[in-house]
Amino acid sequence: MKLRKALLFWYSLLGLIVLLTVFSTILAPYSPNDMNMDEIYSAPSSDHWLGTDHLGRDVFSRLLEGGKVTLVVASGSVILSLFIGVVYGGISGYFGGVIDTVMMRLLEALITIPALIIILVFQVIIQGGMWSMALLIGLTGWLVTARIVRSEFIRLKEEEFVKMANMLGTPVWNILWSHLLRNSIPAIFVVTLFNFAAAIFMEVSLSFLGIGIPPAIPSWGNMLYYAQNDILIGAWWIGLFPGIMIFLTILAINFIGEAWKNPERRRVND
Amino acid sequence: MIGKWIGKRMVMGLIVLFIVSFLSFFIMQVAPGDPAIAFYGGNAQTLTAAEIERITRAYALDRPVAEQYVAWLGETVKGNLGISYKEGRPVFEIIMERLPNTVLLFSVTMFCIVIGSLWLGTVAGMRANSIWDRGLSTISIATSSIPPFWLGILFIYVFAVSLGILPSSGSGDVGGNGGMVDKIRHLIMPASVMIVTHVGIYARFLQESIKRENGQYYVKVARANGVLERSIRNGIVRNASIPYLNYIAMTIPSFFGGSIIVESLFAWSGIGQLTVKAVVTKDFPLLMGSIMVTGVLVVITLFIVDLIMYAIDPKLRKGGIR
Amino acid sequence: MIEVRDLSIHIQGKHITHHMDFTIPRGNITSLIGESGSGKSLTVSALLGMLPDDAKVSGSIMYEDRNVLDASDQEMENVRKQDIFTIFQDASNSFNPSVKMGRQLYAFSGERVGDSLQVFNEKMHVILDKLGLGWEVVEQYPFQLSGGMLQRCMIACAFYVEPALLIADEPTSALDMVLQKEFIQLLIRLNEEKGTTIFLITHDLDIVAEAAHEMIVMQQGRIVETGKVETIFSHPQHAYTKRLLESRF
Ligand SMILES: Nc1ncnc2c1ncn2[C@@H]1O[C@H](COP(=O)(O)OP(=O)(O)OP(=O)(O)O)[C@@H](O)[C@H]1O
Ligand SMILES: [Mg+2]
Repeated sequence: MKLRKALLFWYSLLGLIVLLTVFSTILAPYSPNDMNMDEIYSAPSSDHWLGTDHLGRDVFSRLLEGGKVTLVVASGSVILSLFIGVVYGGISGYFGGVIDTVMMRLLEALITIPALIIILVFQVIIQGGMWSMALLIGLTGWLVTARIVRSEFIRLKEEEFVKMANMLGTPVWNILWSHLLRNSIPAIFVVTLFNFAAAIFMEVSLSFLGIGIPPAIPSWGNMLYYAQNDILIGAWWIGLFPGIMIFLTILAINFIGEAWKNPERRRVND
Repeated sequence: MIGKWIGKRMVMGLIVLFIVSFLSFFIMQVAPGDPAIAFYGGNAQTLTAAEIERITRAYALDRPVAEQYVAWLGETVKGNLGISYKEGRPVFEIIMERLPNTVLLFSVTMFCIVIGSLWLGTVAGMRANSIWDRGLSTISIATSSIPPFWLGILFIYVFAVSLGILPSSGSGDVGGNGGMVDKIRHLIMPASVMIVTHVGIYARFLQESIKRENGQYYVKVARANGVLERSIRNGIVRNASIPYLNYIAMTIPSFFGGSIIVESLFAWSGIGQLTVKAVVTKDFPLLMGSIMVTGVLVVITLFIVDLIMYAIDPKLRKGGIR
Repeated sequence: MIEVRDLSIHIQGKHITHHMDFTIPRGNITSLIGESGSGKSLTVSALLGMLPDDAKVSGSIMYEDRNVLDASDQEMENVRKQDIFTIFQDASNSFNPSVKMGRQLYAFSGERVGDSLQVFNEKMHVILDKLGLGWEVVEQYPFQLSGGMLQRCMIACAFYVEPALLIADEPTSALDMVLQKEFIQLLIRLNEEKGTTIFLITHDLDIVAEAAHEMIVMQQGRIVETGKVETIFSHPQHAYTKRLLESRF
């Protein structure tokens, strides 16, 4: 009971964050890129709830707009990695044998290379912006999904109803789609949630290094990039709030993911 | 037995290094301009025709790409990583200067994380449903949701800007005025940021693993027969640490990724900061070098983890399933 | 030594034993016999105060003058350590797979009774020898030994400890006839010389006939018959017991 209430809280929090960012254009009191040189580094006040940054831009407005950018990049990349992961893991798990062995060895090797470095390198080579970043995070983020899909497929392949369908001559794509994939959905959902958190982490990390999203577009990671200097002159509000938003978003996703991992806690009511 | 097992691990490590080297080589290929210039970077203008000729021959630059790769790999293995575009010094030299810092930061944080998570995970795992058990489950999720570099920014604000008791950046110098103490003072913040954000999640993994192990038949038998709780616990932790080590091995790469950012934030002059610097200044030879060296570091770390696993798990050693 | 009254156990809403009443008298060999799945092993867990967390019990189990079902975990731990040795049914999973047998045998026997390693080595050597096991098993890991060897290792610990109460859940299931005979002789000697009370769960009526004084017959979670072995063998009352005895001859 208590657990379910807690879960409901995390759902609401995540929903609230998403809503705030989706409607950022309506909710933001200022335009996120409006500079006001008379009001640089002003601390939180009734005019600027969360203060202003080094160009006098309203931190609250940028926070909402930045959240939209961060969440859109993360969503885009997660969809991509979901697709690649399902295809790769599905092929490996369904065919098994040598194909599986080779694909898994390759995957093990790829897991060993820090994804951050790969993204860093390609982002700089292609001089990428926001979309290339989503693309790169997606291209490097599918490994765990592939593993999960593979083990689910291998498990399901041995199930009675799949063997039955095979014997009855059900077309392969039908087995793949309506038996294997459909029954893997809970597991895939959980790993995708965690992937989403990881993608947010990746975006903010890269933007924080100044390599991700171009400085003109606000994102949570970007805001922290400037914050590392602003903090030295005592302007704590510029770094504090984006970090809290990132923290809360990832926290909510993690708690929801944990709950889904554990099927008894899954439902919110009843 | 051990020979065969190590052999298998080595092959895996080599495959990884090959992929990393492809990545590196790819950078050189797509880097703007003449590969020879890309390679010898800042010094390119000063090269004589004879030197360009020599470079071209060493790297087989007039040959097909495959041969170029082999030639380049040969040079790399010999330790010739080219010349930094920005600093005009051999990349190998720059990396060697910075390697100790990265190794220091990594070993200190990993050591604390392993000790801390072993302790926390065991205490929480052995007492199912206690306050420790539930507390760790929640706190570990919370701490692992904190972006390390953000925590770093907060630390800088509190300890460097407000209290002024720790330096906000740099990596200290043992040879300098401060000596060892200075080094440690610089190390505290980056290390604790990594420890705080990682120890919980590793502890939690061990905790879950211990709880599972605690339900095993042999534990029940031991408890029923008055085996000392200490012996039982040691046995459980030993078995539970095998999946735990596996988990460490799985997360080491992203751990390295995290430390790149923390190094940059605190200007800790290690390989991670060097990588970011090379990316930002488009210093391709330096970038290739730091990527290669990171790959080697990861592979070596994984190999050490494997060896520990081999020592703990007799099934690996005896290769025996009845 | 143990008196069980009206013991019912259910797990996850499933009734496993119903209103069981029986006694394990001190100094005797009592055997429990019953079909597979009738709840024998679970009864052993109940006697030890080690039922799974999700089990619900009613009734009482009086061990000397305390009720096992009310006793604290700590109290039961002490009782078990003082008085009881239990040979569990599944010998091949009874040892930690990644610890050498020597260390584990010591933990189960010598360490428990407070003997030094040296004393343990001497005493255990003799016992293992009687059970047809070489000393080299102490250098091996559980997965390198057969099920029967592991069963004998457990038995060896039981003979080492010489507990006040020995509970043995199908201790000979993986042993051949010769070893089985040897084991029964050792068991009888332990009972006669040291006065050890023995609670022996088995499928094998030959063992019951040879070793036990009292017997308890169980079917589907109920006790259908209890009494002296000779009495039951000559005049079985319950249909299940009759069938059981018929299948023997
Ligand atoms: N931990 C448990 N959770 C749920 N049910 C259990 C548990 N342990 C045993 N059971 C159920 O209790 C019943 C009795 O099991 P038990 O192991 O006591 O049988 P048994 O008489 O020892 O059989 P066997 O001769 O095969 O060893 C079985 O139906 C079993 O499914
Ligand atoms: Mg049984």
